[in-house]
Amino acid sequence: MPQPESPTEPIRSEFAHDPDMADLINMFVEEMPSRIQSIADCYRDQRLTELQTIAHQLKGSGAGYGFEPVSLTAAQLEASLKTHSDLESIRDEVDALIDICRRLAP
Amino acid sequence: MDRNDEQPSVLLIDDSVEILRLLQVRLRSEDVNLITATTGMEGIRIAAERKPALILLDLDMPVMDGFETLRALKEDSRTVNIPVIVISGSDDTVDKVAGFEFGAIDYVCKPFNLPELRARMRSALRIQQLMSMLEHRAQIDGLTGLWNRAYFDRRLEEEIASHMRTGRPFTLVLCDLDNFKSLNDTHGHPAGDAVLQGFAKQLTATLRKQDIACRYGGEEFALILRETHAEQAHALIERIRETLESTRWPRHPERAITASFGVCDEPNGDSSVPACWLETADKALYEAKKRGRNRIVVAGDPLPGNEVPLSKAG
Repeated sequence: MPQPESPTEPIRSEFAHDPDMADLINMFVEEMPSRIQSIADCYRDQRLTELQTIAHQLKGSGAGYGFEPVSLTAAQLEASLKTHSDLESIRDEVDALIDICRRLAP
Repeated sequence: MDRNDEQPSVLLIDDSVEILRLLQVRLRSEDVNLITATTGMEGIRIAAERKPALILLDLDMPVMDGFETLRALKEDSRTVNIPVIVISGSDDTVDKVAGFEFGAIDYVCKPFNLPELRARMRSALRIQQLMSMLEHRAQIDGLTGLWNRAYFDRRLEEEIASHMRTGRPFTLVLCDLDNFKSLNDTHGHPAGDAVLQGFAKQLTATLRKQDIACRYGGEEFALILRETHAEQAHALIERIRETLESTRWPRHPERAITASFGVCDEPNGDSSVPACWLETADKALYEAKKRGRNRIVVAGDPLPGNEVPLSKAG
């Protein structure tokens, strides 16, 4: 698994060299900006159930596409959402997930 | 989508399109035909229609979750025997135990390890294949290879239900080999078995694809001729009767074998009750025996007008 050296370095898929996966990974990465937008919108509008669904789905799919950091960060956000309902206490997890998602590269 | 009938179908039920896409690519190397559904409701409907060999079911879905979907699948007689592997984001023991208790055969945690998922899938498909082979064998008569009585009883019920619902005709035929006991007594049981097997082959060769032939008991056979009235059935059975009568048997070339047939396409009494159909056909069969064997009697025909001239009934 590629470990990012610095917080801004792009994160590449573990399966980047698998020809079967190339198209899928591209699709996954291309859809990221709208995913990030949804996360931000849900957080802003306090639609926390919806936010939990997005986190849950990213947890399930991230590692499958070779992006294990997505699964790990999304799992942390999902866990926080299950126990907290105030925006302040989940803010760090939301920021962390958005940061990871922004750095995904095919 | 059923491009290849030899390939088992595997139904994936997951609300996440990303997981579905991923699995479609990752399972491409497997010898399976993948079908997908994005909700529990859709999955249940497809499972009942397509009867996949295996279902991979996501636990966490909005509206109808995996547990509800699993319960519904296990409560429906059309889907109860389809093995289900639960795929879940939770590795909580409570969820795992619940999954097995609801009837899942396996539980895989997400994000899943692909080689492990493939191995578990193959294992489930192997078991499913053995189960369906056993199920098939349990419905076959060992000596003749025809369907057995248990299968026949079930199919007759289904055929009657569809007849009542749609009005589509079908004909029930009961058939009994004439003087079979005396054949066994004179020439021995191997000779009797050879006749049963030979007659079964003739039935299979003459009947059409939609018909169902069963060994009903000792030397008794039952036929369900679908989409068929008694008149058409009569022509078909007449061919069977003639073929049997003209067969020369290696073990007893001097002795011809004949059979009597009772035919019913409208029972006396309640036509929604299997016993009424069987009784009506049985009475016609009895009548055929009484009139000298080696003949066909259609229930409700007043006079022996449908008969064949008797040759060597005995």
